[in-house]
Amino acid sequence: MGILQHFAECKSLVDYLKTLSNHVVDDLFGYPAACLAIFRELPKLAQNYVLRILYVEQAIPQAVISTWVSKAHVKEHSEAAEAISTLRVWKEVTMQGGLAGWMLDHKFRHNLKVALLGGGKQWTKSTNLDQDSKPRTVKDLDLYALERWEAMLHFLTEKQQKSDTVSKDTIMTLTHAGLMEQDENNAPSITNEGFQFLLLDTASQVWYFIVKYLETVEQRGLSTAECLAFLFSLSFATLGRDYGTEGFEDNMQQFMQHLREFGLIYQRTRKAGRFYPTRLALNLASRNNKISLDTEKHKTGFIVVETNYRLYAYTDSDLQLALVGMFTDFLFRFPNLVVGVITRDSIRQALRSGISAEQIISFLKMHAHYEMIKTAHINNPLPPTVVDQIRLWEMERNRLTFTDSVLYNQFLSHRDYEVVRDYAQETGVLLHGSDQKRTIVVKGSGHDDVKRFWKRHSKNSS
Amino acid sequence: MEVESNLLIVVIDVNPAQKYVRSDSKQFFNCVDSVLTFCNAHLMLQASNKACVIASHINQSHILYPIEEREGVTLKPIRQVDGQYEVFLELEKSVRSQIKKFVMSDAFTSFDSTRSADSSGNFTTCLASALGKALCYINRKERELTAGEKLNSRILVVSGSSESTAQYMSFMNVFFSAQKLGVIIDACVLGPYATLLSQGADITGGIYLRPPHIPGLLQYLLWVFLPEASLRKQLALPPPVPVDYRAACFCHRQLIDMGYVCSVCLSSK
Repeated sequence: MGILQHFAECKSLVDYLKTLSNHVVDDLFGYPAACLAIFRELPKLAQNYVLRILYVEQAIPQAVISTWVSKAHVKEHSEAAEAISTLRVWKEVTMQGGLAGWMLDHKFRHNLKVALLGGGKQWTKSTNLDQDSKPRTVKDLDLYALERWEAMLHFLTEKQQKSDTVSKDTIMTLTHAGLMEQDENNAPSITNEGFQFLLLDTASQVWYFIVKYLETVEQRGLSTAECLAFLFSLSFATLGRDYGTEGFEDNMQQFMQHLREFGLIYQRTRKAGRFYPTRLALNLASRNNKISLDTEKHKTGFIVVETNYRLYAYTDSDLQLALVGMFTDFLFRFPNLVVGVITRDSIRQALRSGISAEQIISFLKMHAHYEMIKTAHINNPLPPTVVDQIRLWEMERNRLTFTDSVLYNQFLSHRDYEVVRDYAQETGVLLHGSDQKRTIVVKGSGHDDVKRFWKRHSKNSS
Repeated sequence: MEVESNLLIVVIDVNPAQKYVRSDSKQFFNCVDSVLTFCNAHLMLQASNKACVIASHINQSHILYPIEEREGVTLKPIRQVDGQYEVFLELEKSVRSQIKKFVMSDAFTSFDSTRSADSSGNFTTCLASALGKALCYINRKERELTAGEKLNSRILVVSGSSESTAQYMSFMNVFFSAQKLGVIIDACVLGPYATLLSQGADITGGIYLRPPHIPGLLQYLLWVFLPEASLRKQLALPPPVPVDYRAACFCHRQLIDMGYVCSVCLSSK
């Protein structure tokens, strides 16, 4: 279940920033785009606080801020204050007269104002960029991004890897992220985590992949903060508009080549002098971000699930079929449609390979067909019976729980048995006791204690 | 699964007859600056937030932002000139340039001369029609939603004109349709007490506020009007002003304390 934990750790930007060292975060505050992204991640109440004190250049007593919310919502207040403090957006200071106060980080304050009101420098030198002779439309960019991203996912799923479709850097990142590992033939092959990765939605995949990639950039001689700031700037760019590459140093040019490989930006040639951000890069850090790369061949919403456990997948993409096939038995295949059925066996097979029921359900939800979303309840387009049954099948596997324990048996008398059993019960370590067989099972942690008691008891009685 | 977004429509009064504009015209630009920053702050909260700015003038109202793309007209893309986020820059530039047009135009400058006064004698702002436009805009945006999307809309009116009771009927129509659509109407009044707007805010569940200090407008906007409806419940906001619920007489357009209601058409006399 590795990826679930890893994924939870860096699921949101806030959690990711917590894993970074102080100086990286401090560097990030130097970029307006990064400040904007961090601001967007704050809880709503916290955003309100920050905006209210954005123009106050001095510390504010904590007591004053706490009066900004009504009495009934003290809990929300402390949560918001906590969220701001953990990101070090404000610092605790002692004011005159010993009052505890908060003061916004001056770098953050300055750069958030730059993002909001202007000033400072632009992040690309594209003001004087002339018209692109062959401009790319949004549709072109979507196609390109999808093609690049699918190439990577394909590479993950393929049995016989042809390493010409993706670059060495991509493979390196995939291996670093634990999505692939070297098998005995020294060829990369997919891991359990890799399968779980495939079931995530595209936005989460991109974010996870980029986070893992960023972990490796230091080795390549790039600064994490600089790369992150570039990504944030990129994520606030406008789709379908070109930006100039002029003025970027060599190491950032190299970073851009990597992003180009992953499909986050489009460049016609390496020396084109301009690049376009794609949909994959937009709102990268946003929590409830949904990327829909809809093209004619590839639809995001393509699955219909019926209450009779039948599943219809309107697609002919091999990748999507491979994903659906992980937990479905296929019955028929037509040019644009595949009919399958969800059975206990097919689900159990998926569960055995480390996929959780929640992941299957979220995958189905994510790819639910437009018609299903329209007719059913908005937050739950799937038939409830199927969802419940998938959960039940998962729970079936969790009927046994394992505890370290010690068995006591062959008591000489029923009296001895009772004394030990009562003692174990009192100290709360008794797991099982059978009067007929005179056996007791206690937790491993309580074994020493019970043993001592028994020695003392037998000494006293003899 | 559900994607929520907030649409904020700001109706800004650009009528030069407003009292605070007449006393010091610089204040008007200060007020525009504050409103622009406020709109950008709204866009800053969430990536999915949307904003729209409508200018309300004598006998006309115009949508200043977003600029609709018309066929055949290609807009020149606005490039970043400094560290400001592109979307913010776009909003600011388009609103500023169009307000400039208003200021330069005849209707604005000729106010002091007697020329326009005699033509109609009407200096009141078309707030009701601007609000109507805002509601139409909201309605259109709601229709454009795809399944699984939700739009929370609200309207903020920033105005300093003394309202005319001549628009009483249109105001009431707007308020009740807003209530039906679930749209909140907030009023930030920079002039004397506005009876109708305070009624509208009360009907739709919005906030009516008269900032005592106009140069500090931005701080009031950020504090009171920026939080969305769900967040407002948690905040300690200024207490609501008692609402004057007097109706306007249908024949003379004056607010009356006591009147007669026609049992057939419900008009008051």
